[in-house]
Amino acid sequence: MMSKDGGAFVPGSLSDQAERPPVLSRRLFNVGLLSSGVLAAGGLPIISPAKADPVRGGSVRLALAAQNTNDTFNSAKYVQANDYIRGTSVYSYLTRLDENLQPQPEIALSWEPNSDATRWTFKIRQGVTFSDGAKLTLDDIAFSIMRHKEDKVASTAKQLTGNITSVTGQGPDTLVIELASPDVDLPVLVSIFQYAIVKNGTYDFANPVGTGPFVVKEFQPGIRTVLARNPTYWKEGRPYLDQIEMIAIVDPAARANALLSGDVDMITELRGSAIDEVAKSSNGSVFVTPSTRYTAIQAAVDRAPSNNQDLNLALAYLVDRKRVLDTVLRGYGTIANDHPFGPQSPYYNKALPQRALDLDKAKYHISKSGIGQTKVELSISDAVVYSVDIGQLMQREAARAGLNLELRREPTDSYWTAVAGNRPYFGTNFHPRPTYNMFLNLAWRKGAAWNFSHYESEKMESLITQAQSTLDEAKRKEQYDEIQSIIYNSGALVLPCFLSYVDGVSKKVKGLTPVPLGNLGGFNFADRIWLEG
Amino acid sequence: MIAFVIKRLLQTAALLLVVSVLVFLGCEILPGDVAQVSLGQYATPDNVQALRIELGLDRPAYERYFDWLFGILQGDWGRSITTKTPVARMLSERLSNTALLAAVTTVVAVPLALILGLLMAVGAGRAWDRVASVVTLGLSATPEFLIATLGVLLFAVQLRWLPAVAYLSPGSDLAQTARALFLPAATLSIVVMAQIARMTRAIIGNLLTQPFIEMATLKGVPPRRVVGVHALINAVGPLANVVALNIAYLVSGVLVVETIFAYPGLARLMVDSVQARDLPVVQACAIIFCATYVLLIFLADVLAHIYDPRSNLEAADRKG
Repeated sequence: MMSKDGGAFVPGSLSDQAERPPVLSRRLFNVGLLSSGVLAAGGLPIISPAKADPVRGGSVRLALAAQNTNDTFNSAKYVQANDYIRGTSVYSYLTRLDENLQPQPEIALSWEPNSDATRWTFKIRQGVTFSDGAKLTLDDIAFSIMRHKEDKVASTAKQLTGNITSVTGQGPDTLVIELASPDVDLPVLVSIFQYAIVKNGTYDFANPVGTGPFVVKEFQPGIRTVLARNPTYWKEGRPYLDQIEMIAIVDPAARANALLSGDVDMITELRGSAIDEVAKSSNGSVFVTPSTRYTAIQAAVDRAPSNNQDLNLALAYLVDRKRVLDTVLRGYGTIANDHPFGPQSPYYNKALPQRALDLDKAKYHISKSGIGQTKVELSISDAVVYSVDIGQLMQREAARAGLNLELRREPTDSYWTAVAGNRPYFGTNFHPRPTYNMFLNLAWRKGAAWNFSHYESEKMESLITQAQSTLDEAKRKEQYDEIQSIIYNSGALVLPCFLSYVDGVSKKVKGLTPVPLGNLGGFNFADRIWLEG
Repeated sequence: MIAFVIKRLLQTAALLLVVSVLVFLGCEILPGDVAQVSLGQYATPDNVQALRIELGLDRPAYERYFDWLFGILQGDWGRSITTKTPVARMLSERLSNTALLAAVTTVVAVPLALILGLLMAVGAGRAWDRVASVVTLGLSATPEFLIATLGVLLFAVQLRWLPAVAYLSPGSDLAQTARALFLPAATLSIVVMAQIARMTRAIIGNLLTQPFIEMATLKGVPPRRVVGVHALINAVGPLANVVALNIAYLVSGVLVVETIFAYPGLARLMVDSVQARDLPVVQACAIIFCATYVLLIFLADVLAHIYDPRSNLEAADRKG
């Protein structure tokens, strides 16, 4: 019943699009220059940000698509949209990614790397207090990052924290982060939802204390979260709202109805005909965020028959991508080319020919694979959004090409532990990550938690490591080109389309801007939105 | 009579004990290691082992069963594995939500259904009965989600009279609560009414063909009294059972309605907990559901016994 939608399983959730430009332009950006060769990411939302002046006051009710009794305020346990949104409302972060995925100052005012990007110096904002009145110290920040390395915390960001060797305060307002190997994207990394700034030594998050725009008024996991305005929030005059109330409405039709009837003001994940219903309604609008979130068919390359590269490539030619985009996604997405890089990214490899439905090529690969009439099973599930529809389209084309493709509809319950990575062919989905490198580390490294294809190659390992530490943009582009080409040719990933985030927002709600990391402004809107008077 | 109640009470207690064993065993054989699922995939084996010990999963099953059972008898449902909060606290709001919805639906639906069933039985074969039979048959065959969705589309989205979700904010007043509960209670009432009315018609209709009814009629008892007294008293036993089963369904089986109206009740909690392998919560829900069935059936049996003319006769005989 419950759509996990990748989010549930893909903690840390962030990815990509435009990767950060190199250090230099980042610094330029901080003084307000960078126009936007790398804009890419954004895309145009259907509702444009309001021009009117923000108004104080009012209460917003938000209906989320997932309901979980393991809702938490412990950022080390974050796994899904519900947690991210609650987190950005109650906690602050060192940096925040904007519409173009550029890191913007929050608690950190500015940052500076050493020459090889192994040591970063952050200037920290002064005069910030926690909601219980305590002053924010550098120790709090250090703890908030380093706790993810602790065994007993068992953090979902443990792997991403692996490269950080120390976080230390120097002087009253300077924080130094030391890295094991160079990372030019550290200011992006520190913006991930897990690095919520908490008080030093906090292990129990039953009564969360943060420095964010809201404080917790009531928290009933799986039922509701009521947040009240934090009167001591460090951003002058913010937040605009007095209260945010979050509830879950799991059924997509019921969720859209609640928006249309005015019972809630914002909902995540509009689906199917509900998109049109909201679009033509008088009180609701469709909020679209183009992104590189995706649903793909993956092959486990460490077992038969999915270790057969020709068979995998045959499947890649059996997807009618245009049809997936038009009928399954109703146009809310972009066509992809069997690797996780979005076409708007400056790193996109334009040399790789765009794959399309091609029965002749599919037949060629089928006969070369020697699979004959042997049954090939593809596991799909409601746990992976749209995978059932994509599977059915593929099955139809497979029949025309003479491949005996059978669909196995798996239960949503335990899909991510029992099916993904444990069957030859299966659907997976991912939210974007702020950088491609972060994504590759999580999903394509040898032994990585979400390397569901069990893909292993020395070449890939060294390319990922190099790209992380290469400051020269041209060189970095070459490395990413090669990574795309390896994934494209491996057949391990059949990625037909990137999915846009499609949410529903009442026309009264203003100030929301799309951030291509997730629903409703990249899960981060609490101190930005207001209600029209 | 008292002996009967005591005997049935003992049987009920024994049954609940068996149920508790089955619920516990059921949770034991659920696939997936609780500690592993709870910690997620970043957990090291050491962490998993530590949590297993913390949860007492390293101890033999029978020990854990008795601990759990004695806990329940003292009102302690244990702690949730995922949220670490006492299960009782997680249950409290949902239990009262579920009880509220079931109570409202029962109060509305049961009397209406009984009256409707009686009217149909009395007018058996007439146009009125035919129409009502077709309608109730149609409604009992209509899935709840369709009735619920149509209700939402009409009353919430089009007319804007009622909220689309039955969400109760803390501190809602009576009017708000009534508005929020109207659609889910109406949906459930339609489903439950259709079933009870049809059963009532069948039971009463059957009784009306019995010789003692014919005798009463021949002796000149007015038809209203024949149905209202002679037939109805004999129908109490079977009707009580039908009603009890329907109320039990309202407590445990309304997942669809809870989902469509985003009403935080027990059924949804149980599904979520199974997915999270939060066994203390699953066990608590299962026990509550089973206990509801067992206790309601017990009440129905007692009621049937009280109104059973034969048992009254026996009692009279013994006295005599």
